[in-house]
Amino acid sequence: MAAIGVHFGYTCACVAIYKDGRADVVANDSGDRVTPVLVAYRDTEQIVGIAAKQGRVRNAANTVGKVKQVLGRSFDDPETQTHKAETKCQVVNRGEKPYYEITAGDRPEYVSPSDVAKLVFHKLKETAQSALGSDVADAVITVPFEFAHAQKRALREAAEAAGFHVLRLIHEPAAALLAYDIGQDCHSGKSHVLVYKLGGTSLSVTVLQANGGMFRVLNTHTDHSIGGESFTQALAQHLAAEFKRTFKHDVSSNARAMMKLMNGADMAKHSLSTLGSANCFVDSLHDGIDFECNVSRARFELLCSSLFNKSIQPIRALLEQTGLSAGDINKVVLCGGSARIPRLQQMIRDMFPDVELLSSAPPDEVIAVGAALQAGLLVGRESLSPEEESVTVDVSATDILVKEVDESGAEVFTVLLPSGTPLPARRHHILSGGGKLSSLCLEIYQRLVAEQPEKLAKIILRDLQPREENHDIDTVVTMKRDGSVHVSCVEPSTGRSEVVAIAASS
Amino acid sequence: MLLEALDGDGTVVFTAAAASVQVQVEPVGRWLEAYVKRRNRNTSASFQELEEEEASSEESEDEEFQLEEYPMLRTLDPKDWKNQDHYSVLGLPHLRYRATQKQIKAAHKAIVLKHHPDKRKAAGEQIVEGDNDYFTCITKAIETLSDPVKRRAFDSVDPTFDNAVPSKSEAKENFFQAFAPVFERNARWSSKKHVPKVGTMESSFEEVDNFYSFWYNFDSWREFSYLDEEEKEKAECRDERRWIEKQNRASRAQRKKEEMNRIRTLVDTAYSCDPRIKKFKEDEKARKESEKKAKVEAKKREQEEKDRARQAELEVARLAKEKEEEEAKQAAQLAKKEKDIQKKAIKKERQKLRTTCKNWNYFGDNEADSVKMMEEVEKLCDRLELTSLQSLNETLASGSKEDSKTAVEKQVQEVNAQLQREREAEVQARQAARSADQASGGGGGGGAGKGWNEEDLQLLIKAVNLFPAGTNARWEVIANYMNLHSTSGMKRTAKDVINKAKNLQRLDPLQKDEINKKAFEKFKKEHSTVAPTIDNAVPSERFDASGSDGNVASWTTEEQKLLEQALKTYPVSTPERWEKIAGAVPGRTKKDCMKRYKELVEMVKAKKAAQEQVAVKSKK
Repeated sequence: MAAIGVHFGYTCACVAIYKDGRADVVANDSGDRVTPVLVAYRDTEQIVGIAAKQGRVRNAANTVGKVKQVLGRSFDDPETQTHKAETKCQVVNRGEKPYYEITAGDRPEYVSPSDVAKLVFHKLKETAQSALGSDVADAVITVPFEFAHAQKRALREAAEAAGFHVLRLIHEPAAALLAYDIGQDCHSGKSHVLVYKLGGTSLSVTVLQANGGMFRVLNTHTDHSIGGESFTQALAQHLAAEFKRTFKHDVSSNARAMMKLMNGADMAKHSLSTLGSANCFVDSLHDGIDFECNVSRARFELLCSSLFNKSIQPIRALLEQTGLSAGDINKVVLCGGSARIPRLQQMIRDMFPDVELLSSAPPDEVIAVGAALQAGLLVGRESLSPEEESVTVDVSATDILVKEVDESGAEVFTVLLPSGTPLPARRHHILSGGGKLSSLCLEIYQRLVAEQPEKLAKIILRDLQPREENHDIDTVVTMKRDGSVHVSCVEPSTGRSEVVAIAASS
Repeated sequence: MLLEALDGDGTVVFTAAAASVQVQVEPVGRWLEAYVKRRNRNTSASFQELEEEEASSEESEDEEFQLEEYPMLRTLDPKDWKNQDHYSVLGLPHLRYRATQKQIKAAHKAIVLKHHPDKRKAAGEQIVEGDNDYFTCITKAIETLSDPVKRRAFDSVDPTFDNAVPSKSEAKENFFQAFAPVFERNARWSSKKHVPKVGTMESSFEEVDNFYSFWYNFDSWREFSYLDEEEKEKAECRDERRWIEKQNRASRAQRKKEEMNRIRTLVDTAYSCDPRIKKFKEDEKARKESEKKAKVEAKKREQEEKDRARQAELEVARLAKEKEEEEAKQAAQLAKKEKDIQKKAIKKERQKLRTTCKNWNYFGDNEADSVKMMEEVEKLCDRLELTSLQSLNETLASGSKEDSKTAVEKQVQEVNAQLQREREAEVQARQAARSADQASGGGGGGGAGKGWNEEDLQLLIKAVNLFPAGTNARWEVIANYMNLHSTSGMKRTAKDVINKAKNLQRLDPLQKDEINKKAFEKFKKEHSTVAPTIDNAVPSERFDASGSDGNVASWTTEEQKLLEQALKTYPVSTPERWEKIAGAVPGRTKKDCMKRYKELVEMVKAKKAAQEQVAVKSKK
C-alpha cells in the first residue's frame, strides 16, 4: 500500500512517498526535492513553486508566500497583521477573514489563504502521484505543534480541497522522530529527545519524551522572528554595503534590486554550507551595473554570529523550564533547511557534547519522510476521528525501582519500570544475586521525579542452592492501567518463585 | 547485585503504588496504533489472551454439563431416523441448539462407550445384525449434529420449538408478558447477534424504534431442507436428481415463505398491540397538533399584522390624495378667477376700443371705409392681447384722430401680416407633410428628390454586382462604396441603399432599359473626356478623374509622382513650401498643387473612414 507524507512549511513544502516499506522524498517537476510555498498569479494562470520564486522580482504584488502564517486565522489576529505588514501582496479584510487582493487580471480578484494553500497542495499531490504512478491520495500532513484547532482545520480542508485524503495531521517534531526511528522499539526505556527545527522564517525547539514507543511533548518554544531568511537578509545587507563601497550607489531603497540581492544572497548562503567561500553575482543590480562579490564562510559566520546566538539561546531556556539538563537529552534531531549551517551544528554539538546529533538525513526533508512513514502505518486501517487526534493514554506516574548494591557495597537503585510508561506494561528483567547466598531479597521502591524513593514491597526468595556463578532471577514487572503493580520472580535452576501484587492507591 | 534476605523477613507489601496518570501523547508510531486498537476493542491485554480466556470458560462449562439418558433409545427404529430428536438421542435434550460442538462430541463419546454393539455384545446382549440396530440412530444423530449445515437444518425444524404467535386478544391484556418470551424464542433464528429485547414500558422511542426496525428487517437463518421429502442421494440418474432438487427447492421456498409470514405476523401483531407505540403516536399527534396550532396562530398573527399595515398604508395614501385634490381644486379656482378677471379686462378694453373707434367714426370719411375699418377693428379686438389692447387704447385716448388712425392702422397691418404668416406656415406645413408622404411612399421614380441621379443609380447597380449576396456586411460595404465613388456628394446609409436597390428590382424593365441606355451614354461621354488619363491611371486616380471632371486639367502619373516627391522633400516646416513644391512640378502653379494636395488628403481620409466603418460593423 502506498501513501503520501506532506510537510507544508512556511517557506517550503516537501512531499515524500511510502512504498514497499520505504519512505522517500520525491522531486517535483523542476527536479527539486523541496518546493517553495509561493504562488504567483498571472492573468490566466497560477504558478506554484520555483517558477513563482524566479518571477517574483517582476511580479511581487501578485506573488503570495508564507500563506501558512495566515491560514485559519481571523483578520484581526496579530499574526495576520504582521503578515500583512511584511508581505508584498495586498491583504484585505473580507468578513473578518484575510484575503489577498490579486490585480493580475482585468479587475482585482480576492483569494483566500486556503485557496493558495490548495494550489500548493495540488502541486505536491501531482508530484507524489507522478512518482507513484497511481492516484493514491491517502496522506499524512504535518503541522507545527503550536497550531490551534482552527488552523489545523483550515490546513486539512485545504488539503482535502486539493484532492488529498487526509489520514491524520501529526506534529512536526513527532514526524522527525519517526523519520529517525527513535523510540520505536517498544521495550526501550524512557529517553528524551530534543528536536531543533530552524526553517525559513521560524525556529521551534521541542523536547519530547519517548517511552514505550510513544512520544510525549514535554515543552516547546517557537520563535517566528528568526529563520533562514534572517541570515539571508544579513548577508544581503552586507552585499549592499559592499556595492555601495565599490560603486557609490545605495541600493537599499531600490526594492527590486534588494530582491535580486536577496536571491543572490540566498544562493551564496546555500553554497556556504558546503563550501568555504561562495561567489555572489547579480546581473544589472543597479543602473545596469553588474555586481560580483566573494563571501567566505568565516565572513558569513561573523555577519550572522548574533543571529546564531539568538537561535541557539532558546534551547537552554527551554531545558531549564522543563527541568532537564543537557545531559538528560539522549538525542538531538535537526530539521529545517537552516539546520544545515555548519556553524549552527557546531554550536549545538558544543551544547550537547555527549549526545548523538542526528542530521544524516537532509534536514528539510526529515519531516516529510516521517509523515510518509506514518501514512504507511495508517493507510488501509480505520483511523481515528479528527477530534481524537491527540490521544490520552494512562502512564505510570512513578519509577518502579529495585534496590541493589554495587561492587563497593553502596546502595543503588535500578529502574525496573520508568515513569511515563504507557499502561498496561510488562517489563522483563534478569537480576542477579550473589551465588553464595541462599536467600535473596528484592526491595521494590517507587520514586516520584526526584524525591526520595518510597518502599513498596519486599520479596524474599529462600532456599536457593549456593553455587559458584551468580543467581539469575527472572523478574517480570507488570503494571495495569490503574497503576497496580504485579511483580513475579523466578529462580530458574530451582524453580522457586515469589509473587507480589501491589494495589494502586486511588 | 541483589541484597541478601535477612532472617525472619517474608514477602510483604508495605504501601500502595501511585495511581497512574493520564497524559497526551503524539498520535504517531506503530505502538500507538496497536495501543489504540487494543483500547478500542476494550481488551486490557493482547488479543490472544482474550481468546485464551474464552477457551477456558468453555472448558469450565464442559465440566458442568450432564447427560440425560434417553429412555426410548433402545426402541428407536433406524429407518425412521429423520423423525428422531437427535439431541435426545445424544442425551442433550436440555441444551439443544445451545450445545457447543465440544459438548456434542463429549456426549457422543459417552453414549458410544455405552451403546456400541461390541460393548453390548461383550455384556452378553443380543444384537440385531446390520443397520437395523438402534446404534445406527446414534450414528445418524452425531452425523447430523457434527456437521454445521446439517445441524442448522435440524435446528431449523426443531420439534420442540413453539411456532405459535400470540393473538391480538391475548396481547391486549398484557403485552409484555405475552410477547417477551415469543420474541426471545424467535431471536435464535437471527443471523445477527445481539437481538434487541422487547423492553419495558419505560423504553425510549429510539429503543422501541430500533426493536421494530430490527424485527421488520429480520434476517433469519432458518431453512427447511431437513423436511425434504425426497432425498437427493437416492436418485439414480442425473435427471432424477435434478427433478428432486427442483421439488425440494419449491417446497423449501414455500416453507421459508410461511416462516417469513409467521415472523411478519408476529411483528405486526406486536406492533399493533404495543402500548408504547400507541403512546408515541399519541405524543406525536399531540405534538403535531400543537405545532399546527402554533403555525396557524403565527399565520393568523402575521395576517393581522399585514392587514393592519396595509390599512395604515391605505389610510396614508387616501389622506395624501385628498390633500392633493384639495390643493388642485384651490389652484383651479384661483386660475379660474384670474382668467375671469383677465377676460373681463379684455372685454372692457375691447369695448373701450370699439367706443373710441366709434367716436372717431372708424377714421373713415365715407360709409364703406368705416365698414371696412370696423371689420378691421373687430379683427383687432379678436386677436390682440390684453397688454397691446391697453397700449393701443392709451394711444387712442391720448392722441388726436390722425394719430389714432395711424396707430390703429399700424396695428391692423401687423395683425394682417401675422395672419398672413400663419396662413403661409400652414400651407408650408401641409406641403411638407405631403412631400414627406411622398418620400416615405418609396421615393417613387429615379429623380424624385432623394438625389438618386443616373450616375448614382449606375454606381449602385455596379456596386451590387461587385459585392454579390453573401459578402460580409454587404449593404454597409455597398453604401461605403457609393459614398466613396459618388459624385453627387450625398451621404448614403446602408438602409437607403437597400431601399433603393429593392426599388430598382421592382422597376419595370422599361425604366431599367432607360437607365442602362443613359448609363451607356454617360459612359461614352466620360470616356471621351477621361480617355487620355485612363490607360495609365491607378484606381485612386480614376476616382479623382471622375470627381474633378472638367475643373482642372487632370494630373498625370508623372506629375503625381513629382508632387509626392516634392511633398516629401519639403516638409511642413519649410518656409514658402508650396512655392518650392510648385517649382518642383513643372507645368503646375502653386494653387494647383495645393488643391491637388487637399484632394488627395480628402481621398485618403474617405478611403480610411470607409474601411474603418466596414471593419467596425463587421466586428459587431
